[in-house]
Amino acid sequence: MALNIIVCIKPVPDPQYYDKVSIDPQTKRITREGIPTIINPVDKNGIEAALQLKKTYGGKVTVITMAPPNAVENLREALAMGADEAVLLSDRAFGGADTLATSYTLAKGIEKIGEFDVIFCGVESADGATAQVASQLGEWLGIPHLWNVFSLENLEEKTMRVKTKIENGSMEWEVNLPCLFGVARQLNKPRFISAMGIIKAKNKPLATWGKNDLIVEDARLGLTGSPTKAGEIYTPDLRRKGELLSGPLDEIVDTVIEKLRTAGITIRTASTSCSAGEGGA
Amino acid sequence: MKNKIWVYAEQVESALDRVTLELLTKARDLAKALKGDTEIAAVLLGKNVKRLCETLADYGTDVIYVGESDALELYNPILYSRLITDLVKQEDPDILLFGATAIGSELGPTVAAQLKTGVAAHCVDIRINEKGLMVASVPSFGGKILGEILCPDNRPQMASVKPGIFLQGEKEPREPAIHWLDTTELQPEKLSLKAIRIERKAPAGVPLDKADVVFCGGYGIGAKENWDKLETLASRVGGAAASTRPVVDEGWAPGEEVMVGTSGKSIRPKAYVGFGISGATHHVCGMKDSGLVISVNKDDKAPVFEVSDFNIVADATKVLDLLMEKIQ
Amino acid sequence: MQFFQFTEEQDMLRKAVREFAEAEIAPKAAEWDEKDYCPMELFPIMGELGLTGIFVPEEYGGSGMGYVERAICLEEIARYSAGLAIALMTHHLGMAPILDHGTEEQKAKYLPELCAGTKLCGLATTEPGGGSDYTGQKSTAELVDGQWVLNGRKCFITNYQADVCVLTAVSGQDEKGRNQLSVYIIDKGTCGFSMGRHENKLGLRGSNTGDLILNDVKVPQENLIGKAGGGNKIGMAAIGEVGRAGMTAICVGILRGCVEEGVKFANERILYGKPIAKLQSIQFDIAGIRTDYEAAKLLLYSASGKKDAKLPATTDYAIAKYFASEAAVRSAKKTMELMGGYGVINEYPVGRFLRDALASIPSGGTSHIQKLIIAGSTLSDFKA
Repeated sequence: MALNIIVCIKPVPDPQYYDKVSIDPQTKRITREGIPTIINPVDKNGIEAALQLKKTYGGKVTVITMAPPNAVENLREALAMGADEAVLLSDRAFGGADTLATSYTLAKGIEKIGEFDVIFCGVESADGATAQVASQLGEWLGIPHLWNVFSLENLEEKTMRVKTKIENGSMEWEVNLPCLFGVARQLNKPRFISAMGIIKAKNKPLATWGKNDLIVEDARLGLTGSPTKAGEIYTPDLRRKGELLSGPLDEIVDTVIEKLRTAGITIRTASTSCSAGEGGA
Repeated sequence: MKNKIWVYAEQVESALDRVTLELLTKARDLAKALKGDTEIAAVLLGKNVKRLCETLADYGTDVIYVGESDALELYNPILYSRLITDLVKQEDPDILLFGATAIGSELGPTVAAQLKTGVAAHCVDIRINEKGLMVASVPSFGGKILGEILCPDNRPQMASVKPGIFLQGEKEPREPAIHWLDTTELQPEKLSLKAIRIERKAPAGVPLDKADVVFCGGYGIGAKENWDKLETLASRVGGAAASTRPVVDEGWAPGEEVMVGTSGKSIRPKAYVGFGISGATHHVCGMKDSGLVISVNKDDKAPVFEVSDFNIVADATKVLDLLMEKIQ
Repeated sequence: MQFFQFTEEQDMLRKAVREFAEAEIAPKAAEWDEKDYCPMELFPIMGELGLTGIFVPEEYGGSGMGYVERAICLEEIARYSAGLAIALMTHHLGMAPILDHGTEEQKAKYLPELCAGTKLCGLATTEPGGGSDYTGQKSTAELVDGQWVLNGRKCFITNYQADVCVLTAVSGQDEKGRNQLSVYIIDKGTCGFSMGRHENKLGLRGSNTGDLILNDVKVPQENLIGKAGGGNKIGMAAIGEVGRAGMTAICVGILRGCVEEGVKFANERILYGKPIAKLQSIQFDIAGIRTDYEAAKLLLYSASGKKDAKLPATTDYAIAKYFASEAAVRSAKKTMELMGGYGVINEYPVGRFLRDALASIPSGGTSHIQKLIIAGSTLSDFKA
C-alpha cells in the first residue's frame, strides 16, 4: 500500500553555537551572525521515519517548511537524504508568526500538496523550543495527532500503532490514517547524506509557494494571525562567586563533604561511624 | 466581573502531578496582582478522581470542574481537549495554565488551537503587568535568551510550565464549588485515536525532583563505571544521580528521565555537585536554582566555573574515587 | 579567468562528509592513533555514503563524481583522522588503474564491491630496493604456460591487507635494456601471495602498512591491466595524479585542523589577564598557519579541477603535494609551539597532526621527487 508521507522541517541556527548567541545592546535584537543554519536535528528523525516507511510500503515523501528563501539549501539536504519532493512556503506575509499562525500556514501548504497518509514533525525546534507546532498543525488539519512518539510499532491497512513517552513510562495508541506524529530523538538514527543522494537531489522538484499560491485567510497569517506577541528579551544572569578550592585533592574532597553537611546533607564518613561504637580509630 | 484563573489539574493513574500544586500556588500570586476579585479553578478529568478534589481544595481552589468517567480513564487528547474547550467557551476564563509534562505539552497547544488563542510554552516565570495582562518569560536558544510573551487580545491567556519551575507553596484550604461535567456522550472506542495502554515504572531510589542533593555527571566522567559511582554515592547520602544529554547519548546513564536541562528536568536541590560538566547554558538553566553548587572539571577554562559557588580543577574520576572512599 | 568557487553540490557534499566525520570519526581518532587500529568497519558505511567509489561512474556502482569531490571527502576525513584518510585514499589509488585502464570484465568484476566498501583495495609498487626509483624495482613477472608467475617483495604498502591488490612487477626489458613493468590485479589469498611484517609507524597510524611477499604467485592473463610493459605509464599515472592528489588533500585536512585547534586554543588560553590571541607573536603564528592552509587548499583544488576537466595535472599535483606536505609539517609544529606545554600532551590532537604530516612527506612521492618533477617541467616549459 503506497503511502503519501509529509515531513515538516524547520531550518534553525546550529545548536552547537547557542552559548555564543547574545543580544545586541543597541538594537535589542538577537545576534546570530556566523552561526550556520541546519535542519532542526529532531526533524531529521521525522525524515528518517518517512524514508523507512517508504522503503517498506512504497510511496512518496514530501518535505515542507515555512521559512525565509535561503531554506532552499536545507530542503535540498532533505532531498539528498532521500525525500522525493520539497515545498518552501515563503512570503513576507508569513513573517512574525507564532505557533498558531505557523501551523495554520503549514496546514494550508499541506492542503495544496493534496492527499496524505502520515505527517511527521519533530517534537520541538532547537531554537524556539515551544514544542507546539505539531499538535496545532494536527488541529488545523482536523486529523488525529500525537506528540512525543518514540516508537512506530505497526501499520495495518488504515491504522497505525505507536508509543509515546510519558514521565516514567509510555502509552500505546492505535491511530487511524491520515494522522500526524511529533517524533522524538529516540525514534531512530537519521541517516547521513550520501554522494549519490546529493546528485539525485539536484533534479528533484522543489517548489516555492507564497501567499498567493495558497488559499488562505490573510488575518490568520504572520504577525496578524499570532495571538501571542513578543515583548522584551534579555539574557539571564546565572553567575555565582566561583571560589577556587585548591590544595591536595584529598583535602579538597574533605572540604566538599564539609560544605555538603553545612548545606544540610547527612553524610556518614569513617570518622563519624567510628563514634557509633565498635572499632578503633 | 470576576477574574478567572484556571489550572488544568493533571493526574495520571488517579494521582495528581506535583506540577498542579505548583501552578495553583502561582495562581494565588497572580490573583493577588490582579485588580478585583479572582476565582481560581481547577479542571480535573479522569476515572476515580473525585477524591483528588480534597487536595485541590487544600491548595486554594474556589471552583473545581470534574469530568469523572470510565471513558476518561486513559488520557486521550481528543476527548480531553474537547471537554476542556467546551468548558472554556462556556465559562470564559482569563488565564489557563497547563503543566508542561508530556501530556500537558500536547494538551495545552491542542486546546489553544481549538480556542484560537495563544499559549506561552515552557515558561520560567509568569507575572501580571500594569495593564493587568499576563506576561510569561519563555526561554529560547537553549535558555541563553529569555523573552517575554503576552497574549493581549485572545482569551484565555494560556501558558505551560515545566514541573519544578515554580515552588509548591503552603496549603491554603478553601471550600470550592464542585461542578460535574457531562460525560455521558463520551465514546472513546469510536475515536480515530485510541489509547490502548499505559505502562509506568517508578524509578528506583529518591526521585530526582525530590532529592536534597544531586550528583550530576557530564561528558567528562568518561565512562559508564563513573555513572555507576555517581548512583552509588547518591544512594549513600539519600540523594539522586543526574546527567547531561551527552551522558545519556553515550549510554552511560539510563535515559532522559535523569537528564537535567532545558529539554530535561529542572531541579532545585539543597546541594548540587557536577562532575565533568562544561556548563552549557541549556544544562545550567535546569539547575540554576540549586542551593549550593560545586563543580569539578579538569579544564580550568570551563564555563561551568562561572556559575558555581565552589570550583575544583581536577579529574572528575579522581574526585569520585576519593568521595567513594570517604563517604559510607 | 573565473574566480574559484565550489558548486552547490560540492558544498553539500562537504557538509555531509563533515557531519559524518564529526559524528563517527572525531570521537575515535585519538584512540585509533594510539592503538594503531584501522577502522575497517567504517568502509561499508563509507560505501553507503558513496565515498569509497566517489570518482567511479554509476554504472560500476560508484557515485559518478570527480576528483574535486574526492579531495573534499579526503580533506574532511583527514581533518580528524589522517590515518583513516590515507587508508581511503589508497583504496581509491588501487581502483584508479582498474577504472582507467582495465577491461570491461575487470571493471565489472572488481569495481562494484570496491565501491560498496565491502572489499578493500590497495596499490603495491614500493620495494626494499627503492620507492623513488620506480622503474628500478626488482619483483619479476614471467609468462609461463599462459599464466604470469610473480616473485618478489613489496614494502611500506598501505592497505597491505587489501582484498584486491593492484601490483607492479618487472615483466621484461625494452630494446635499451630498461625495465618494463606490468600491472596485475591479485586477490588476497592467492597461493604464494602473503602479508609480511606490519610496520609500526610514527604517523598516519590507523592505516595498516606492511610488506607483501610474492612467492611463485600465479596470476591469470585476465588479471593483467592494460598491456604487458604498460605498467610504467599506468603505475606512474596512478601515483602521480591519484596518490599525490590524495596525500595533498590529507595535508590540507591536517592544515585546517591546525587552524581550528590553534584558534580555539588562542581564544581560550588566558595569560597575563587576557587570551593569548591578543598577543602579536601568537597572531603572527596564526597568520602563518592560515596562509599555509589557504595556499595548500587552492593548489589542491586547482589541480583537481584541471584533472576533472581532463587537462594534464601531474605537475600541478607535484607542486600541490610538495607545498601542502611541507606546510603541514611547518604549521603543525607552529601550532604545537603556540599551545606551549599543552601542545605536547596527547589529549590534544596537535601532536598527532605533526606526526601525520611528517609521515605524509614520504607517502605518494617524497618532496625530493616532487621537486625533480617540478624542476623538470619548469626547465622545459618556461623560456628564459
